Amino acid sequence: MIELRNVSKSYAKGRVKAVDDLTLTVRPGEIFGFLGPNGAGKTTTIKMIVGLLKPDRGTVVVAGFDVRKEPLRAKAVTTYVPDTPAVYERLTGLEYLNFIGDVYGVSKKDRLARIEKGLEVFELSSAVGSPIQSYSHGMKQKIVLIAALLPAPRVMVLDEPMVGLDARSAHHMKNLLREHCQGGGTLFFSTHIMEVAEKVCDRLAIIHKGRLVAEGTMAELRSRNGTKESLEHIFLELTET
Amino acid sequence: MSRFGSLVRTALRVNFGLSLFRPREILRRKRDLWMIPLIVLGAASLGPVLYFYLKIIRTVHGWLAPTGQQAVLITAAVLAGQVFVFIFGFYYVISAFYFSRDLEILVPLPLAPAQVMTSKFAVILTNEYLTIALLVLPVFVSYGLLEGAGAGYWLAAGLVYLFLPVIPLAAVGLLVVGLMRVANFSRKKDVLIIVGSLILMTAALGGQLWLGRSAGASPDPEAIARIFASSDGFVRSLGAKFPPSLWATKIVAGGSAGEGLKSAALFFGMSALLFVGLVAAAGKLFYGGLVGLGETSGRKKALGRRALAGRLSSGRRPVRAVFLRELRIMNRTPIFLLNGVLSVVLIPVLFALMAKTGSGRSDIAGILKALGSANPVASVLVSALFMAVSGCLNGTSSSAFSREGGQFWLSKVIPVSPRDQAKGKFLHSYAVAVLGIVAAAAVIRFTVRPAASVMAAAAAYSAVGAVALTSLGMMIDLARPLLNWTNPQKAIKQNLNVLLAVLADLAFFGLLFLLAKFLGRAGMSAAAAMAVLFALLTVLSAGSYRLLLAFADKRYPQIE
Ligand SMILES: Nc1ncnc2c1ncn2[C@@H]1O[C@H](COP(=O)(O)OP(=O)(O)OP(=O)(O)O)[C@@H](O)[C@H]1O
Ligand SMILES: [Mg+2]
Repeated sequence: MIELRNVSKSYAKGRVKAVDDLTLTVRPGEIFGFLGPNGAGKTTTIKMIVGLLKPDRGTVVVAGFDVRKEPLRAKAVTTYVPDTPAVYERLTGLEYLNFIGDVYGVSKKDRLARIEKGLEVFELSSAVGSPIQSYSHGMKQKIVLIAALLPAPRVMVLDEPMVGLDARSAHHMKNLLREHCQGGGTLFFSTHIMEVAEKVCDRLAIIHKGRLVAEGTMAELRSRNGTKESLEHIFLELTET
Repeated sequence: MSRFGSLVRTALRVNFGLSLFRPREILRRKRDLWMIPLIVLGAASLGPVLYFYLKIIRTVHGWLAPTGQQAVLITAAVLAGQVFVFIFGFYYVISAFYFSRDLEILVPLPLAPAQVMTSKFAVILTNEYLTIALLVLPVFVSYGLLEGAGAGYWLAAGLVYLFLPVIPLAAVGLLVVGLMRVANFSRKKDVLIIVGSLILMTAALGGQLWLGRSAGASPDPEAIARIFASSDGFVRSLGAKFPPSLWATKIVAGGSAGEGLKSAALFFGMSALLFVGLVAAAGKLFYGGLVGLGETSGRKKALGRRALAGRLSSGRRPVRAVFLRELRIMNRTPIFLLNGVLSVVLIPVLFALMAKTGSGRSDIAGILKALGSANPVASVLVSALFMAVSGCLNGTSSSAFSREGGQFWLSKVIPVSPRDQAKGKFLHSYAVAVLGIVAAAAVIRFTVRPAASVMAAAAAYSAVGAVALTSLGMMIDLARPLLNWTNPQKAIKQNLNVLLAVLADLAFFGLLFLLAKFLGRAGMSAAAAMAVLFALLTVLSAGSYRLLLAFADKRYPQIE
């Protein structure tokens, strides 16, 4: 569903190599966890998948569409939650959600049902009529998440979605994301929380200094490293400098 | 003092974006080289305007000199300058005192409220010197040269110019500080402040006009005779509306030394008094108006299913969604509103006031009407120019992309083609331009009262021209969008693109003017020349709009 082939990207005119010859496949219906130390290149990779950054080399294919050649088709089936929820402060939560519904073309019936559900789960019903400016950090994150679920996209790409959420909200979010995948959707997300990655993900990848150092199911990662240890252990071992 | 000095210095630097506009940087970066011809051309097109202005001053001086009443030129210049300061002052004062983010940094510093406010006052004052320079200085200089005035004149004129903005600005400051204090009790502060200041502004100016009207509504022959008989009759009748302009005239071109001194005492004394009053008021009221400005009026009420459904739309409609988003964000961000939409109404209002300066049938509107009926072609073009300037010489189109700032990522991930997004933005900017055109048309209609056919033709020319100007502004912003701001001021007020677009617009007008002149010289009939001009405008507009859409498709993927 998401395919990266030999993707490279550097910043500052080639001086900082953020992603280095990365090849990765995410299958349909999969929850895919993307791990790596700070500065490993996770955000950079994610931005290339959703079309925010242009790869220096290599191709990114989402749902069969090359994101550079057929960007609109790829975008129509993808939604994205960035690591910092920068959204239109002057719109109300509801206006923002409706904007997303308008640009993705969601029917009124679906809009109503999905928004109601999201608001209820995240306890945002009373805030949705106020400007986003007045939301707390976590509330902003939740509204972006509800917006990302609104078009019922085939592919969801999330950058550290748990950061800033309280325990209950994080729990609800995991459930929502699982439901999304049970409905046939694909999920790609980066995280620093090993426990979540271990429990939630069907498959995982670990990158380090822009290069892929491991990919596979939890069982595969264990057997390849000849250990019965936790993901945390494997992660620490693989990302030693 | 040194702390205060550095405060003012920093404020000035920020205001003029000195760290933003680095000529050497432009020369080094090849990509920005296209700005140079634009700046030159834009500046050059101010030349003819200045030329005509100087010519008018000379002519009027020539008329008045035989009766010894030429000092009325000074009165008119001071009066016009002060009206300008008053109107622009509202906008400068509100945005600097209350809507600038630097207050969040300044307020916690160990500075007295009066110091913070005075530093802002200093910045606004410098802005005002620049705003009125083109209006007032040519008169002061021409007058001095034509009269062969001595050193005393130049000294007095310089002093008067330096103090000229103080009275109206301090008056505006007092009104706004008071208004803010009151507005802070309410929940919809943003709206109240803007609406309130518009009402105050209209009321204050309306009062002036009404005073002036009742003073000289229908000039009976006797009164006119009296005006001509005394050596300062004109000065008095014009200055009656606003005594400071009278005092200023007496200082600069007064008859006796005694009268000059008395006027100087009044003029400078009044300035000092108002300023001190403002500082005193600031100490008490300034921060009181500030507290809680950022908070919004959150009615925390859950929406029922019905209400929710009522606010949702259906299906895919990207252009409309982008248009609505632009409209809402612009109208709800005070700094954007002040710089974009409000200035669209400001220029026509300013004109209306100027046009009604003078009394009875001899006011500027009357003169314009007389000129216009003699030359309908010119009056169509001048009216169209005025409408286009009112609608387009603002930061709306030239900040269309910059305004998105940190939220631009959304525009890159949504499944809407850049071309459709540009269409939505264009519709918004064009709607603002049309608002300006309508406001200008209304003002022309009620002051100069030209024939309906002239109005219709002018509106058509400006509506078509506005398409080109809007596209031009948007393309400039798209070429170098400023997206990494945290303070919305940066996106529009301190955005170099806005200045570049204004220069480009001036260049556009300049080129059209040259073309019209050329067609006239080539012996083309007026009707044919007008037709050629209109056809050309249409082609330019259609072309620039299509270019804008193509440019959006090209640029969006490049912006990271
Ligand atoms: N805009 C930028 N300009 C220059 N270098 C950048 C930029 N963004 C990221 N980098 C560099 O690219 C590398 C990868 O950064 P990236 O943000 O992708 O890491 P990450 O894996 O998301 O890290 P984190 O876990 O801290 O979010 C880092 O070395 C970083 O310094
Ligand atoms: Mg990151």
